[in-house]
Amino acid sequence: MSIDVDKVSLNIKGVDIIKDISFSINPGELITILGPNGSGKSTLLKVISGDIFPTKGRVDIDDIRLSDMSFKTQALKRSVMSQSQQILYDYSVAEIIEMGWVDYGNNGNVDLIKQKCTNVSKECFVDHLLDRNFNTLSGGEQRRVHFARTLLQIDHHYDSVGARYMFLDEPTANLDLLFELQMIRLLKAKAKNGIGVLLIIHDLNLASKFSDKIVILKEGNLIAFGEPFEVFRSKTLSNIFGLEMDVDPKTLKVTYY
Amino acid sequence: MIGSLLFLLTISFISGLTLGSYSVPILDIISGKLEPLQKTVLTQIRAPRVILAGFVGASLALSGASLQGLFRNPLADPGLIGVSAGAALGATSIIVLSNHFVPEFLAGPFLLPIAAIAGSMLVIMLLFTLTKGFKSKGTTYMLLIGIAINSISGVCIGFLTYISSDAELRSLTFWTMGSFGGVSWPLLVPAIILISLFLIWAIPSSRNLDLLQLGEIEAQRLGVNLKKLRFNIILSSAAIVGISVSLSGMIGFVGLVVPHLARLIGGVNHTYLLISSAIAGSSLMIVADLIARTFVQPAELPVGLITSAIGSPFFLYLIIRSKKL
Repeated sequence: MSIDVDKVSLNIKGVDIIKDISFSINPGELITILGPNGSGKSTLLKVISGDIFPTKGRVDIDDIRLSDMSFKTQALKRSVMSQSQQILYDYSVAEIIEMGWVDYGNNGNVDLIKQKCTNVSKECFVDHLLDRNFNTLSGGEQRRVHFARTLLQIDHHYDSVGARYMFLDEPTANLDLLFELQMIRLLKAKAKNGIGVLLIIHDLNLASKFSDKIVILKEGNLIAFGEPFEVFRSKTLSNIFGLEMDVDPKTLKVTYY
Repeated sequence: MIGSLLFLLTISFISGLTLGSYSVPILDIISGKLEPLQKTVLTQIRAPRVILAGFVGASLALSGASLQGLFRNPLADPGLIGVSAGAALGATSIIVLSNHFVPEFLAGPFLLPIAAIAGSMLVIMLLFTLTKGFKSKGTTYMLLIGIAINSISGVCIGFLTYISSDAELRSLTFWTMGSFGGVSWPLLVPAIILISLFLIWAIPSSRNLDLLQLGEIEAQRLGVNLKKLRFNIILSSAAIVGISVSLSGMIGFVGLVVPHLARLIGGVNHTYLLISSAIAGSSLMIVADLIARTFVQPAELPVGLITSAIGSPFFLYLIIRSKKL
């Protein structure tokens, strides 16, 4: 049981966006992708999400080739949270969260879905917003609602699906410090419960504190993959981000100013 | 909510059957004490007419609602974006050209609806291909394409009118404004069956239309097969609009106005929206037809005139209100 990214490359119009990347995500692990802008983080996440097919290499989820999985099977195995677009019509917050329930018509009754929706909205501190019009929420509140939807998507009763995963592309953008910390802690708790989490964030200190493993990308290449204490070196980080960085070897705290 | 809409539909249906230049009182229908003339008016003229109006209203409103969902654009209306015009062009081509080009064995009562469906399908597919790369400025772009398609088919219909014979011309004139008059059971029954099938076929897509509002990629990540969804919506919309136009001509703005009213009353959820739009569209169209045939008795107004009279100011209001057109 794992997601195996094997020698994945993506070439768009003659430009190599990511090159020969290999690593694995195990259930129960929180893995963070770090790297400067344009290093291919979001693209890598899109390839693993099945949005784009790689030019070379393959992605397997629990030994099944991603390109052989139906959209529905993928949706039951993993949820994805990305920078979302504007929603035209005025859905309520509860309706947006319930959209995470894959197979709405067949799997489970309305009461169960309502119950699960209430649970995830409490976890994400949006339970007081359920009846509100989604479009009237602030940017940070909207992120938390999408986060709740992403949690609901893999909280279903298809046990035969096996291990479940979450991929998140900068989920903490627009969040204040408190909610950012709460969201990362919640993801850590989900990972401890057996979900494999793949996360893109920019905050190095949060990454070193909460990640089980870290992937570092630069210009489409995988520079380092390992536990935080293996990859967090002053020299590595300074090179990658083009900025003088100092890593405390004991606490792994990064100072760059 | 859907219950009260059904109640409204029942009332419109009964009014449509009983009111008109020749009155058939409801009590007489229930007690079965109808005179022969009343009976003929009811079963051969009024019932098919009211039923056709109901189905056409449901078709136009439901296709408006589902196209507004598919294009993620509140101004998608089968008339405005050229789908009805495509259907009308398909139908007029058959009326004028079939005598000259279509072999005898192919010509039949179903050729016209099939040509209308093909015309509307062609326009929806054209629209879809053309708007794909213009997601951010989709609304304006799509309406402009609609204007272009409407003009092109206007030119073609105009040309066909010019070369048509007198008999053909008479059947052409009613396309421009729409009418439910003169429909008979043999044509109506297959239309009802086909429209019902496609209405029922479209409704299971409503959950996926909701998910689509999060964005195409997001919907796919939630398990939506985008190709299948597009195919279902495009084919069902084209079919119900095509069949409707082939029987009643072009009737504007119903597909635009009804889904908006439905959203105002009961929310934006497509499971509710598609069903309620179909019911509300149905009763609105029956009432519009009732007005059309009673307003200047004994003459008859084209029903498209009534719907456009209500719909075009509403369209103007939507444009003015819209901030990001």
